[in-house]
Amino acid sequence: MKNWLLPIAMTVFIALLVTSFYAASWFGDRYTLRAEPFDPFDPFYGEYVMLQYPDLEAPSTVEDGDVYFTLKEGPDGFAVIDRLENESFFGAINGTFYGDRITAPQLEQYYVEQGLGPALEDAVDLQVTLDVAPWGTIRPVSLEVRDE
Amino acid sequence: METERKLAQWLDEGLLDQAAYDRILAFEKRQPQKKKMPLLLLIGLIFFALAVFSFIAANWQAIPDLLKVALVVLLMWFFYILAYFSGKKQFGKPLVFRLLGLAMFAASILVTAQTFHLSTSNSVLPWAIFLAALAHYFLWRRTAYALVAFIFGISTLTSFLPQTGWLEWGIFVAVALSWFYFSKDDAPMIFSWLLLFFSGLLLWDLIEYDSPFWPVWTLFVLVLLLFFTPVDKQRLLAPFYLIFGAVMLVVYLAVRGETELSLVDLNWTESIALAAAGLAVLLLTYFKFRDITWIAILGATGFLLFDDTAIALAVVAELSALAYLIIAQKQDKPLAFGFVYFIAVQFVIYVIYAWERLDMSLFFLIGALLLFALSGIAWWLNRKKEGAMS
Repeated sequence: MKNWLLPIAMTVFIALLVTSFYAASWFGDRYTLRAEPFDPFDPFYGEYVMLQYPDLEAPSTVEDGDVYFTLKEGPDGFAVIDRLENESFFGAINGTFYGDRITAPQLEQYYVEQGLGPALEDAVDLQVTLDVAPWGTIRPVSLEVRDE
Repeated sequence: METERKLAQWLDEGLLDQAAYDRILAFEKRQPQKKKMPLLLLIGLIFFALAVFSFIAANWQAIPDLLKVALVVLLMWFFYILAYFSGKKQFGKPLVFRLLGLAMFAASILVTAQTFHLSTSNSVLPWAIFLAALAHYFLWRRTAYALVAFIFGISTLTSFLPQTGWLEWGIFVAVALSWFYFSKDDAPMIFSWLLLFFSGLLLWDLIEYDSPFWPVWTLFVLVLLLFFTPVDKQRLLAPFYLIFGAVMLVVYLAVRGETELSLVDLNWTESIALAAAGLAVLLLTYFKFRDITWIAILGATGFLLFDDTAIALAVVAELSALAYLIIAQKQDKPLAFGFVYFIAVQFVIYVIYAWERLDMSLFFLIGALLLFALSGIAWWLNRKKEGAMS
């Protein structure tokens, strides 16, 4: 038993990690965000596109630092901020606000197929589809060039 | 074949008689033969593994998300199964296979992170490997697992920055403390002690108040650990208290001598508290753990830092270095550590006071002469000591 205890525990851990991401899709809502790229490569994890979100704007009452927000679908179909606070509340996405940019750790970088990064960066107008769980976990689903 | 050839040679030369030759040959033939894997099979296996990896790499993006993770988890299981049979059937080294399994666990988290666009700046990966390596250590008690746990412990600590939270810090300290308490071997004990010390440095990030003395407070608190440590392990850890204390004093001297000390909140209240703590450490260590009494000197740094010429700190560092050397010499203890500290103190003092007063070339010339003279004295004293012993 001693030989198998750890591999079993480690497999369960990976399974839980994966399940927590799928759970966002099973129980959550799907949004599409306007996105713009700004930086490319991580030698360890591979190629990714750093993204910023022009529609995620903060009112002047919010302070720099940790922010908590929810999304709603805007009139043009792209997601915008629904509720944004400096204090945590249930269902909020945990993000940061510095300068004029709001982002969340999982929204900041999107891993793409090797060699695809520069093309996406050149396209500039991008969109990210993501699932948001009722408890605030995000699962980015796709990154595509935006037709507008 | 080689043995047989050698024996025949010795028999021809008359070094062995026929009876000894026969006995040795019979003994050697009874020995179990080493099983060697045919070279061609080995090369074939390597090429097969490379082909499998390149096939997977070429089609990586086309593989469904779940299958990617499953592939690496399967590889992890492959190594653990190999480790099990390697232990049972006596081939290869189970330790190496388990380490590879642990590496595959790390790889599976990396793949999961990449597949699900998880941020790379969170602490999930280092925490998971830190805890997994610790669990390996407690199950099999091998130093290699302790080393992996230490490396990922450091990685976990750095992943807390720049927004360390009390909860994760507290859990980390609790885990490191338990590791220290339940360790039986030297290396894990040292590793866990180091993790505890480094987690003390995170107080700079954790607490808004920028004390210049978090390392000293940490070292003083770690003295309490010695109450739960067997005597032989106290002797093992004593040099670490001294080395870290010495490094701190030299760093304080360098920082006070070279900067305005504007980034920290230096105040009398903390300095008095530190001096009181230093006194307590002095009494405690003098009666219980005399080897490390030297670290009580750090209690005075609170007052010494107020002197912006750094002369008071320099005098204390110099005197402590000399006193340590003289006492070590008298008690016939190793002098190497004392000398390295002594030379470091001289050089920090030299840089602080000579850098701006001397021409560059003269600075390095005098510096080199100073180093030469000090090393010469060290060599002479050591020779004298060895001569006295022999």
